[in-house]
Amino acid sequence: MSNRTLSRRDFLKLASAAILTASGLLGLEGLFRFLNTQTEPLPPTEFDLGLASNYPPGSRTLLPDIPALLLHAQSGYSAISLVCTHLGCSVESKPEGFACPCHGSRFDPQGNVTRGPANKPLRSLRVEVTSDNELRLYTT
Amino acid sequence: MRRYFLLAASISLLLGLLITAWQESRHPKPIALTPTLTSQVEYCLTCHADLAEISSSHPVNTFGCVICHGGERLALEANLAHSTMRGGKNPSDFSVVQASCGGSNCHSGTAENSRDHIQRATTSIQATYAGAIANIRYTFGVQPDLKAVLGVFAIRVPESTSAITELAAFNPTQETNPFVQAFGQNCLTCHLSALPLPGSECIRFTGCSACHTPTQFPDRTDTTQIQSNQIHKLTTAISYTQCDTCHNRGNYNLRTMTFEPRQDLPTNRLHDYYQPIAQFTSCEWMLDCVDCHTRTEAMGDGNLYSVKKDIQYLQCKTCHGTLNDLPQTRTLTDPNDLAFRLALLNPVIDLKLGDTLLITEKAEPLWNIHVLPDGTYELFGKADGQRYVFRPVKGSACLQDPVRQDSGSCHQCHSVER
Repeated sequence: MSNRTLSRRDFLKLASAAILTASGLLGLEGLFRFLNTQTEPLPPTEFDLGLASNYPPGSRTLLPDIPALLLHAQSGYSAISLVCTHLGCSVESKPEGFACPCHGSRFDPQGNVTRGPANKPLRSLRVEVTSDNELRLYTT
Repeated sequence: MRRYFLLAASISLLLGLLITAWQESRHPKPIALTPTLTSQVEYCLTCHADLAEISSSHPVNTFGCVICHGGERLALEANLAHSTMRGGKNPSDFSVVQASCGGSNCHSGTAENSRDHIQRATTSIQATYAGAIANIRYTFGVQPDLKAVLGVFAIRVPESTSAITELAAFNPTQETNPFVQAFGQNCLTCHLSALPLPGSECIRFTGCSACHTPTQFPDRTDTTQIQSNQIHKLTTAISYTQCDTCHNRGNYNLRTMTFEPRQDLPTNRLHDYYQPIAQFTSCEWMLDCVDCHTRTEAMGDGNLYSVKKDIQYLQCKTCHGTLNDLPQTRTLTDPNDLAFRLALLNPVIDLKLGDTLLITEKAEPLWNIHVLPDGTYELFGKADGQRYVFRPVKGSACLQDPVRQDSGSCHQCHSVER
């Protein structure tokens, strides 16, 4: 069994190598995080609404997360955006149509303006029935 | 020696990286918001999530923060995030208000749509201070009449329907009369661009927020609470205390040309509302200023004026009528009537088509005053929602001369004793 001692030179060499390795790992971790930075996702423009059979004929379904109102009429599925065309607040569904809580715009049940300041009707949104008989709504 | 140098460099490099990592770890986890109006991510809520919604007309999910306040929307370090804010804490200061609050759908739209708020506010006599400046210059013989020619800032309104289409900037250093110079140095503290006078009772912002951002006064004698009492709020429910941050705080001494704050320490509303020298009726101190004075009187009508009385036109008869005439009314038949918008912003009353309101001589809706079936009137306080019922003068035992409708005439019988 040999009794080896670390020379000063070897110690400095070893310490430098260890510190440089740690620095390299730390730098790599920072580089990895930088390269993996994800930009904030844009708001979704497509929404899966589940089975079409969940929305029976004649139904009016509020979809607050979009926000939109899904209608199932005899002519098929349609949707109205619940984003006010004045400044973008979410309008509220009322018996007489829709009302914007921010600036008081009113819309009839079809989304037409009945009181300003909005001067454009609520947007109609595209709704598709997929081959799996599911509904997909598009906001753009 | 080389190896020592290499070791020292390695340690320095590691330390630098560790410090960077430590600083990075101190940053809070960003809270992202993508407002509907801008569709641009902003991280302001990372630090400001506890702020109350500023008003029901400006929900943060729709507007975000940056569209009004400016600032670096993606910065997480406070100094950097705030470095490009407009107007510091107050984006409504008139120096930046156009960028902060303007836009044709917001507050610099047309007069026809009643969206010309910035145009009206910046030309109002409260903003230009033109009346006071003209009065002092006329009093000391610097100008031949009371027609305003100078304001605290230069402004042109070529389409003004009043007698004045422009004001040059008042520059006290260019005045030769020492009293006018002193006025400029000591008395330009009560316009909407001026910083408030010292004292907790005078604390307010400048610009639109001077009136629309309330200062709360839980204890007026505790001056340490001043800074914390301006709240993140925009409102049209403006208490008289907000008006009194400028009004009724004292008088100008024309001998010394200085402002002398009132010396009494009011302990209740009756004594606080007006200065001791003032005469007033019961409704003038029980109601808030905005219960009678209209938006046009306070914010102007977009024209330039020389004196307050050119724009402030309400009289007692506006609400009470005279012995010969009832006050003017309007039945709401148009869903776009301005009254609905004003009532939405401050819902102390639920207006419906078919309701009959009082209106002013200029047809401005007094939207908070209903006509009741028995011919009396019901008023809801705009600041506190309190209900008051009052009668018309016509048919009463009032001894008024119907021609004399100045407040002094009514005060002869209806003045309140303090």
